[in-house]
Amino acid sequence: MTRNVISARGIVEGRASGPALVSGEAISFLGDVDIRSGTVVGDLPSVKGKSLAGTVLVMPYTRGSAGAWRFLYQLFKHGHAPAAIICGTLPDPSVVQGAILAGVPIACDPSAPLDGLRDGQRITVEVEGERAEIRIE
Amino acid sequence: MDLTAAERDMLEGREGPARQRAMKGLVQLGRAYGAPRLVEIGYAHIHAGMALYLEDVELMEDLAAIDARMAVPASVNIANADTVNWKATGAPESLARLQRRAAGAHAKMGSDCTFTCTPYWAGHWPTWNTHMTSIESTVTIFCNSVLGAKSNRDGFFAVYAGITGRYPLFGYHLDAIRRGTMLFEVATPLAGGSDFSCLGFHVGNAVGDGVPVITGFARRPTLDELDALGAGIATSGGASMFIVPGVTPPYGDIAAAFHGAKPPLPARVDAAAIAAVYARYADGHDALDIVHLGCPHASFEEMKLYARLLDGRRVAAGLELWITASRNVRNAAAEAGIVAKLEAAGAKVISDTCPMSCHFARTVSPDPKLGVVPPALRAVVVDSAKQAKYVRDMIQCPVLLTGTEEAVETALAGRFVPRRRPS
Repeated sequence: MTRNVISARGIVEGRASGPALVSGEAISFLGDVDIRSGTVVGDLPSVKGKSLAGTVLVMPYTRGSAGAWRFLYQLFKHGHAPAAIICGTLPDPSVVQGAILAGVPIACDPSAPLDGLRDGQRITVEVEGERAEIRIE
Repeated sequence: MDLTAAERDMLEGREGPARQRAMKGLVQLGRAYGAPRLVEIGYAHIHAGMALYLEDVELMEDLAAIDARMAVPASVNIANADTVNWKATGAPESLARLQRRAAGAHAKMGSDCTFTCTPYWAGHWPTWNTHMTSIESTVTIFCNSVLGAKSNRDGFFAVYAGITGRYPLFGYHLDAIRRGTMLFEVATPLAGGSDFSCLGFHVGNAVGDGVPVITGFARRPTLDELDALGAGIATSGGASMFIVPGVTPPYGDIAAAFHGAKPPLPARVDAAAIAAVYARYADGHDALDIVHLGCPHASFEEMKLYARLLDGRRVAAGLELWITASRNVRNAAAEAGIVAKLEAAGAKVISDTCPMSCHFARTVSPDPKLGVVPPALRAVVVDSAKQAKYVRDMIQCPVLLTGTEEAVETALAGRFVPRRRPS
């Protein structure tokens, strides 16, 4: 099994592991995800019908909504929050606020492309201050 | 990030656990967005703690329990039940009781528990260059644009800013981004708040998260029209402010709005663009259940207008006319005899909430113990593009958008009256 360590920019502190869920499309937590089941209901071909619960969610960027924090927090309250989030670019302030409330670490701008990543591969995200490490098993 | 000694005291817990939790969150947020330091804020419009969301009221109770106090004047955003007259919206008393628990937490924290999306009509009127924070995008855009205060579109952390009196210096707190990105020229007559709301919806869609500069008005828009315009812009896009040269501070003309840079070519907004927004929310339906006025929550002037349109008349049997306003505006309107006229006509005057804020149990999962039953609504008629979007998305119910006067006529006639184009 190959093991890869990629550095990234730390956005929300914490450490979490889980199976990767790779979205080719931007996700809006308000509208694209059913908070009652944790399932993606938005029209996002690569992840539609899949559950975010416990995953390390990998996506290119977040789609804006001022209410995103509330839905990320509600996912957490219903036990369906992702374990961690890796974003290609800086996520919306609302997503950052929801992730801090829900204790979901966020890393962005990874130093190497994550194209080869497949759903289900185990990933650990560790964020301390502005430094983040993504470990792929 | 550079922190002052006082800010470091908060971060390290010497000012108690609430200020520490709040400061830790704000520092992480500021670091993510490259803020060099924090600024002192003068006002915060904060989260209500919403009774329909699971353990959401508890978010505010938890802060009150660790002795959180507002360091600056704070108002409270719209909630999920009328805490006094919950029966009017068909809510169970359990929901109102839970919502009142949030009011208790706010009282302890020293915030003005306005439960409204228009705190400015309830006396919270920050002035030019006041750094502030708001959880409600309608409040952000009104205060940034009409009042010249400085606010981002925030989420829960508005309450952390209220507790610490600080906010990271980024986004609309910086003068450099408070300048136009697109120019619009209104080339069609507009009648009343509903047309301004549709203009806003059209502009917001086109401008994304930029700053629209809007010209070509036949006369200076009223405060109510500017309010409707901003709410529309913030609903369809991610914009946080708009500029009407000569009207919104401090931009005297188009050149100032673009900070001296060459303005882009204007995008013309014609009658068809406005009509297209009405047409977008026209879920044809013969059976109507609710006609709603007051999104965002009505001003005193709007309450006067509704009373003039309804005075001596009677809402048709079989449907309900809801008029929503903050409790402050409602009380002022009651003293002026306006509420009595509205109620005599059969209207329901509702505070603390609105249709899209109290009827969306279908798309979330409130605590089953509350016994909330999502209403089976056949159609809702509204005069606001914001309400139209969220009735459709959150309540998942057919919605019809029309003018304010036409909405009142709908309520009186019991059948839908579409918007008449102004000439």
